[in-house]
Amino acid sequence: MSISRRKFLGWIGAAGIGSTVGKSALASGNKHFEGYPGSFGVLHDISRCVGCRSCEAACNKVNDLPVPDKAFTDISVLDEKRRTTSKAYTVVNRYDVAGKKEPVFRKNQCNHCLEPACASVCFVRAFKKTPTGAVTYDPNVCVGCRYCMIACPFEIPAYEYNKALEPRVMKCTMCYPRISKGQLPGCVEACPVEALTFGKREDLLMIARERIRKYPDRYINHIYGETEMGGTNWLYISGVAFSDIGMREDLGVTPAPELTSGALAAVPVVAGLWPVLLMGIYAISKRKESISQQEIEDAVRAVSDKADSELAQALAKARKEQEAAVRKEVRKALEEAARSRDKEDI
Amino acid sequence: MSDKAANDAKTWFTPFNVISGTIIIIGIVITILRFTRGLGAVTNLSDNNPWGIWIGFDLLVGVALAAGGYVTSAAVYIFGMKKYHSAVRPAVLTGFLGYALVVVALNYDVGIPWRLPYPFIYQGTTSFLFEVAACVALYLTVLFLEFMPAPLEWLGLKKVRELAVKLTMVLTVLGVIISTLHQSSLGAIFLIAPSKLHPLWYSPYLPTFFFISSIIAGLSMVIFESTLSHHYFADKMDEVHIKENEGVTLGFGKAASLVLAGYFMIKIIGIAGGNNWNLLGTSYGLWFLVELLGFVALPSFLYAVGVRNKDLTLIKWTAVWTVLGVVINRLNVSLIAFNWQLPSSQRYFPSWMEIAISVFVVTVGIVVFRFIVTRMPVFYEHPDYKDKH
Amino acid sequence: MNKGKYLLGFVCILAVSIVFIYSTRILGSGQISDVSSRSRSDVIQIDKMTAFGRLEKPPVEFLHNAHTEALAKKKMDCTACHLTDNDRIFLKFKRIKDTDRIEVMNIYHKGCISCHGEMKAAGEKAGPVECDGCHKEKTLYSSSGQPMGFDKSLHFRHSEVQDKKCERCHHEYDEKAKKLFYAKGKEGTCRYCHQTETKDNLISMRLASHIACIDCHRKNLSKKIAAGPVNCLGCHDREAQQKIKKISPVPRMDMKQPDIALLKTAKKGSGVDTMSLNRMNFVPFDHKAHESYNDSCRICHHESLKPCNECHTLAGIKEGKEVNLEKAMHQVNTGRSCQGCHVLKQDDENCAGCHAFMGKTSRTEDELCLQCHMVPVSEKKKLLKPDDEKMLATAKLLSRTPVTGTYNENDIPEKVIIKNLSNKYEAVDFPHRKIINTLVSNIKDNKLAGYFHSQEGTICQGCHHNSPVSKKPPQCGNCHGKAFDEKNPLKPGIMGAYHLQCIGCHKEMDIKKPAGCTDCHKKIKDKM
Repeated sequence: MSISRRKFLGWIGAAGIGSTVGKSALASGNKHFEGYPGSFGVLHDISRCVGCRSCEAACNKVNDLPVPDKAFTDISVLDEKRRTTSKAYTVVNRYDVAGKKEPVFRKNQCNHCLEPACASVCFVRAFKKTPTGAVTYDPNVCVGCRYCMIACPFEIPAYEYNKALEPRVMKCTMCYPRISKGQLPGCVEACPVEALTFGKREDLLMIARERIRKYPDRYINHIYGETEMGGTNWLYISGVAFSDIGMREDLGVTPAPELTSGALAAVPVVAGLWPVLLMGIYAISKRKESISQQEIEDAVRAVSDKADSELAQALAKARKEQEAAVRKEVRKALEEAARSRDKEDI
Repeated sequence: MSDKAANDAKTWFTPFNVISGTIIIIGIVITILRFTRGLGAVTNLSDNNPWGIWIGFDLLVGVALAAGGYVTSAAVYIFGMKKYHSAVRPAVLTGFLGYALVVVALNYDVGIPWRLPYPFIYQGTTSFLFEVAACVALYLTVLFLEFMPAPLEWLGLKKVRELAVKLTMVLTVLGVIISTLHQSSLGAIFLIAPSKLHPLWYSPYLPTFFFISSIIAGLSMVIFESTLSHHYFADKMDEVHIKENEGVTLGFGKAASLVLAGYFMIKIIGIAGGNNWNLLGTSYGLWFLVELLGFVALPSFLYAVGVRNKDLTLIKWTAVWTVLGVVINRLNVSLIAFNWQLPSSQRYFPSWMEIAISVFVVTVGIVVFRFIVTRMPVFYEHPDYKDKH
Repeated sequence: MNKGKYLLGFVCILAVSIVFIYSTRILGSGQISDVSSRSRSDVIQIDKMTAFGRLEKPPVEFLHNAHTEALAKKKMDCTACHLTDNDRIFLKFKRIKDTDRIEVMNIYHKGCISCHGEMKAAGEKAGPVECDGCHKEKTLYSSSGQPMGFDKSLHFRHSEVQDKKCERCHHEYDEKAKKLFYAKGKEGTCRYCHQTETKDNLISMRLASHIACIDCHRKNLSKKIAAGPVNCLGCHDREAQQKIKKISPVPRMDMKQPDIALLKTAKKGSGVDTMSLNRMNFVPFDHKAHESYNDSCRICHHESLKPCNECHTLAGIKEGKEVNLEKAMHQVNTGRSCQGCHVLKQDDENCAGCHAFMGKTSRTEDELCLQCHMVPVSEKKKLLKPDDEKMLATAKLLSRTPVTGTYNENDIPEKVIIKNLSNKYEAVDFPHRKIINTLVSNIKDNKLAGYFHSQEGTICQGCHHNSPVSKKPPQCGNCHGKAFDEKNPLKPGIMGAYHLQCIGCHKEMDIKKPAGCTDCHKKIKDKM
């Protein structure tokens, strides 16, 4: 059972298309979105944070979140590392860093990426990057697939798993309703030491650089969020390495949408090329089939034609022989009659 | 048929019925729990692990294993391998049921299932999940139409059946396109999370890996499922089906061997592309090698040996092994190698109720399959429609 | 037959679940890298073969003390591994010089493996004999060895024991005679000549110190005379270093160094009109006092014992690595320059409360320059004899009042009532005068601090910054208002300013109380 050459070529072509799906991931646009101009953000100066949890309390209040079991003044909560949950949009964690006398505190919440992964993967566009800088969520369209939680590199969105009806994805909104009214985000307003600075992202970058310049031995020379995942509206400066306080430094500078844009671009290629190719292959195999059908018919015809002529020849021969025989008999009879006439004449 | 039904009345408590009945009852109880108490009551899902086996197994594995439909119909109708024709209907039926069950399972997993059609209204086209949703919905329709001739023959609706048969070619091409897109899209879903998926499994080629391994899964599933069917439904099969079966097993085995070999090569290219050779020495690397050598290279070799020696038993067992390999691959990408950066205390392990629902869904599939093949012309050709394809 | 198929299905499911359970549980977290970091102070990387090109195998991690201890048990000493010549010990393993690749390699392999092998054969605990046993890809230990310094105290103890025979250690090299000789009065520190790397026949500091120290200690020990350590830990272990006996105070070393010097900008006898090069006021410098502040001459005299301005000229020269005099005296972030060292002192708990907020720059107000640059060039010109110069400097130093100044107690408000958060808490009674008194008393024994805070208003500037010194400086709220002023983004709001200053200062000064909000802000008692 050998594969015909045509069929083989068809397969090779098909395989070729398949392999382009992965490769074209590299070919992405050359445009880089640098955030909405004048969008707001928050600069978190980790070296200033004293771990008082005022921001958590304020966040809980302005967002009408459920009252937690332990009061916000209870600092023993800091003994374990926490993440954001559906009941807490922001959490402060304590880190004991080697070589530092004092513990370091870091506030964690949605970083409001310039190009958010959650918005890019939401198939009902529940997440939106607003020109204010805040990434907002619309619970009225959310299906609850939780792909946003898979995609978020900072592990921020949380889910109301224990709600049977209309559970929501919960995350910090940068107090979008408040900042739209010209108010400060709840946490920023509450911070007693201005470890959180609210302002335009470009101003915050300037402030951060100025602080690093002025106190070179109090800060690591890096602004976290300036380029991470393509940049975020929430920025951080710190006196210790960011990896020592639970912040990933291996996220790279590629904005989330770019991770999938290449593969997405391959979709129309497949949708466009496949039907043409498949119909082509179909046509080839169909034609091959019909050709073989034709050949069979031809052969049959050829055979039957030959048989016909032979039969005719045989018949003709038989007829001739028959005629000859008749003629012979007639002649014989005539001769006989003549001979008997002759005899009578004698 | 009718006298067999009469017999069934007496022997209602067959092992199959008892086991599947129990599973279904448990499943219904958990279903009620799930929809009255929320996901938290029945699953081990957490904020760090938003996807469990209902996505990893029910969706990813379900869709991959339902690939038999498009693979077989493409082979027969597009590549013109008429001699495998008898394999099309069972494969299309399994495909259809597989996809239907995936959709059923998704209703359990998503938070607000009645909003499942929302993606078609608020089209989030930058999401690969949108593509998956669109394709699964479309493909379910395509498979339904592709399977239509069987119930129509059963019901005796000749004219409609003629129409349905005429659509076969268009549906097949459509099926292949849609399958290519969503099989690869399921892999592309994870492209967004390079920081969470282990670098040995993360690759820009994930879509290609998923597409090619779905062909492998499709081919192996047809062999596997025909083996099972021959055991349980041999009485439902006509002569042609039984006669062609050997050819189907050998032919698909050969194809699977070749595709597996190709898959092995591109997986290697994947490691080379990420320059992740050094990671092979770690514990994850070991596990990756188990998957790559044990469940890709080994079955490729075994299929080849089986086809060469015409050893049907070996091919059938290899098919089982290969299917297992695809299951492992999907679970690796979605659960085992995903979130590998988390400390083990925060890792996900399914609750028994999640497993029970997955088993429940599979059982429902088997029961429906059994219902259909014992009634409709799937394993045999309807006497009225002989030679009409 | 049916049973068989059930079994098949069951086996498959079982296999999948086993595999699944196994993989999540066993693989667990990806970051299982808690290899207990073991550190020792006797770790030596044997990578000597790099001298002959690329290494074929990873370098060997060698634990020196483990070997000396093992040998001591067998009553063997250094000579088991090190060659000696005329009581001099060679630091290289069983050889004097690195000859060639094969030979050195053979020395190591033969030396190590044969000994390990013999010990193994004798049933003793021994090191590895197979390649991978020594040449390991991963290093197991990190070195906790501390650099060993020869401080004033140690120097004094050595010179005392050696009856001030400096020539026992100090030497110079005679290029012509190609040998070492002793030059009286020219002694410097070892490191002036012996650098980190061996150059030609000038051996590295590491080599020189190990030869000189260990040889001498060894000889003395063999003569049963008390001597310093001969093993790694004795000098390089952190704990052992702390146990070394300290003399305090150390009698002053006599190198004919000045007691008080007048630091000038141009160096002596440079031919040209030196006086015209002197533009900046001269600085009277208490050399004797600074000797007592430091552990070794090398802190300031980092390359040689010459005066600073011989290498660091006004414009900078090659000998001074192009570092000009201004930089040499004012560069911050180094302990070598005057200002750099003084700024480092601001990290002290008693100082950091205020100084941590000021940033570390060498630029200061003009009048502050005159605190050091006290002697106008014109005054110097009036001098006739060189001795007068010293007298002038001494007089200037004596005129200084190194005492922190403050305003009259009554001029300092005793309390400040802060009402900014009165909606949440009771007003804060800020103990203003008590704080100032504490700050002043904290630095009262500090001559450096006293000199720079002798003006009455200086200490106030720690909080009342960015405004001129005055008895009644502006209050916090006069400058700090609403937070996040777009026009002045670097200035904190009033709440931020208070908290940053108070909490920041307490943190820097390591003051544990008050802690938490309510230690300062009393809760509002009854809200009717």
